[in-house]
Amino acid sequence: MTIKVSPAGNIELIGICSSDEGEVLLQHLLATPHMMVDWRACEAAHTAVIQVLMATRPGLLGPPAALLLEKWVQPVLAATMDK
Amino acid sequence: MNEFLTQFVIESRELVEQATEGLLVLEHSPHDAERLDSVFRAFHTLKGGAGIVEFAAMERAVHAAEEILSGARAGKRTLTTALVGDCLACLDQVIQWLDAVEQTGELPSSAANTKADDTWLADMLERNPEVRAQVATALQFIPDPDCFYQGEDPLARITALPELLALDVQPMAAWPALNSFDPYKCNLVLTALTAASMGEVTAHMHGHSGTCEIQTISDVRTTPPASALPAQARNILTEQRAMLSHATAANLAGFVASAGLAAGNALRSCALAETAAIIAQATESSLSANSPEPLRHAISQLLSPTPAAVTETTKVSSKPEATAQTLRIDARRVDALVRLTGELTVAKNAAGHVAKLAQQEGNAIAGLLKDRQVVLERLIAELQESVLGMRVLPLRSVLQRFPRVVREMSLNLGKPLTLEIEGDDTEADKAIVEMLFEPLLHIVRNAIDHGIESLGERAARGKPPTARIRIRAARQADQVIIEISDDGGGIDVDRVREIARTRGVATEEELRLMPEMDIIDLVFAAGFSTAAKVTELSGRGVGLDAVRTAVERIGGRVSLESRAGDGATVRFSLPFSVMMTQVMTVEASGQMFGVPLDAIVETVSVPRTAIVGIGAAHAIVLRNRTVPVVDLAAILGLREAMSGETDATIVITSVAGHFGGLHVDRIGQRLEVILKPLDGLLTGMPGITGTTLLGDGRVLLVLDIGELLQ
Repeated sequence: MTIKVSPAGNIELIGICSSDEGEVLLQHLLATPHMMVDWRACEAAHTAVIQVLMATRPGLLGPPAALLLEKWVQPVLAATMDK
Repeated sequence: MNEFLTQFVIESRELVEQATEGLLVLEHSPHDAERLDSVFRAFHTLKGGAGIVEFAAMERAVHAAEEILSGARAGKRTLTTALVGDCLACLDQVIQWLDAVEQTGELPSSAANTKADDTWLADMLERNPEVRAQVATALQFIPDPDCFYQGEDPLARITALPELLALDVQPMAAWPALNSFDPYKCNLVLTALTAASMGEVTAHMHGHSGTCEIQTISDVRTTPPASALPAQARNILTEQRAMLSHATAANLAGFVASAGLAAGNALRSCALAETAAIIAQATESSLSANSPEPLRHAISQLLSPTPAAVTETTKVSSKPEATAQTLRIDARRVDALVRLTGELTVAKNAAGHVAKLAQQEGNAIAGLLKDRQVVLERLIAELQESVLGMRVLPLRSVLQRFPRVVREMSLNLGKPLTLEIEGDDTEADKAIVEMLFEPLLHIVRNAIDHGIESLGERAARGKPPTARIRIRAARQADQVIIEISDDGGGIDVDRVREIARTRGVATEEELRLMPEMDIIDLVFAAGFSTAAKVTELSGRGVGLDAVRTAVERIGGRVSLESRAGDGATVRFSLPFSVMMTQVMTVEASGQMFGVPLDAIVETVSVPRTAIVGIGAAHAIVLRNRTVPVVDLAAILGLREAMSGETDATIVITSVAGHFGGLHVDRIGQRLEVILKPLDGLLTGMPGITGTTLLGDGRVLLVLDIGELLQ
């Protein structure tokens, strides 16, 4: 399990999140729409996961652990949140 | 259609013509650098125009052709027949688009569909000005919706691009409601800018699933950051500037003019007419200084974000703009003017009649009236000339379509051909120029199909393998002469005689007596066609008689001259203008008729006894030639044939090479009239071609000599 709800009440993305976990993340967010997503421990995330973040626009706790995510994906998500 | 689009269509058509003409020359002499430049410029300007009206599909198509030509200019490839064909096909597509634009008043929707594709690049560059200087390649990747199942991770692939400079991810379609959202379907468009080369990016994207567009941004690399111009105009300006830097002394003028035009249009399309005026000024300076620098500088100024351009703007644009030398006027307005001038001529003739009456009655002011009338006559003649001059078009507009026709036929029939066109700047009335294409096409097709021998026959006759078709146009007095000649086999007189006999065009007896020239002329007779096999190209059930009819309808004549084994020449003699017809009036049984002057050879007075009966017909012998004579009054049913002791007045006419005599009571005067075709109940009345009003208000029937003497 690399997606779980933390004791602090956030959805945590941990390690490498595969394409299957897009569905898991979506279910979490549907169940508790106001939860923040904490991706500070995320080392990689499949497009499917990122796409769920783009569509649901939860609050994000960052920066992510992986440099690539921080440099390229975070700005994309930030731009989505602004809308 | 908005004015801008109208202008775009007109200009594009001119460019297509220019490009087509050049391409056909290039096909035979692919190393003609000047021609190559001219064609390249035409394509370049076409592309610029398409860019301005945001016609993305056309822009892309023309760009592809431009790339080919650019390669040829750089010496990287030779223009083969196939490549020329590709470029021509591109122009065909452009013509289709232009036709559609003209018909609907808007860009074809297929073009609109693809429009979004092209804006992504400009948008992406605009949003990331800080990396612009380093961008080498841009790409847009739309992954297949099911790509996740195929193990594709689009975002990972793109973020791993070498030297990635900027990334943008957008939903392809708007996000659906979350409860119906399918996380396994990819709904993304990924756009990226990188400093890596096209090759590296292409290699990196290898094996992706979805659609991926990769573009090189070499020109943009040096572009300074955004100025106040819209992205579209800026792209066009940048391109013009890049083009100018390739200008050499030889092609400078063309490059400058082309770049100036494209840049000016781009600016006007953004409602920057004042700025466009600067470009026009700079183009002028560049042309007169024979250096691309002024124009390049002006474009650079516009592209630079500093306000220098603005100061420059106010300074230069205070100079007066050059005024246009030509006007585009709706043809209907000109026609209305022609009609009014015609009516004015009729009114003038009536006034002349009144003056004559006054003179006969010894009226004191008759002389004055006559003087005024003469002045009026001169002025109206001048007016008429200038009005008709407005309707005049060069024959180029028709003749320039032939290189394509000949090229295609040459390829289809496997007969190598060259086409020579001479005198395409000869002018004629619009109505004539416009009706000429079909008849000329028919003649040219016939010449190629039937006239030009097969390669084997040509070799046997010792002729060069490449046959020659020549179209020559020239103005002779008030006539326009067009000659179409070939160096083929000429007309086979025996075959013509044989076919005429079997098809009942002429009887055995007639044929035996007929001189060779007349037999050749039989190919224009109705019901005659020499095509042994009906090909797709000629012989589509319409014979050459259709050509003769069409030409004669506008007052022209067609004749054919054949040199056995050496080719044939078809000659069109056309009036310069269809509006005025010269007639001579004749009287028969107290009634006046007009005879078209172009049908009259001479008038003779012969003793009545010289008219001898040949069977039921009559004839005279004139300079050792038998000329059939008809009594005008008699054939029109006005009275019985005359007989008497006085001399007979005979008008000798010639129509399509046939001589004939009209026996009339009296010869009247020469008139220049506006011939009105018969309409209403009179339509189709045999023997009459039209009517006109005489000065005294009487109607003059103008005779159709050809029909009368048949």
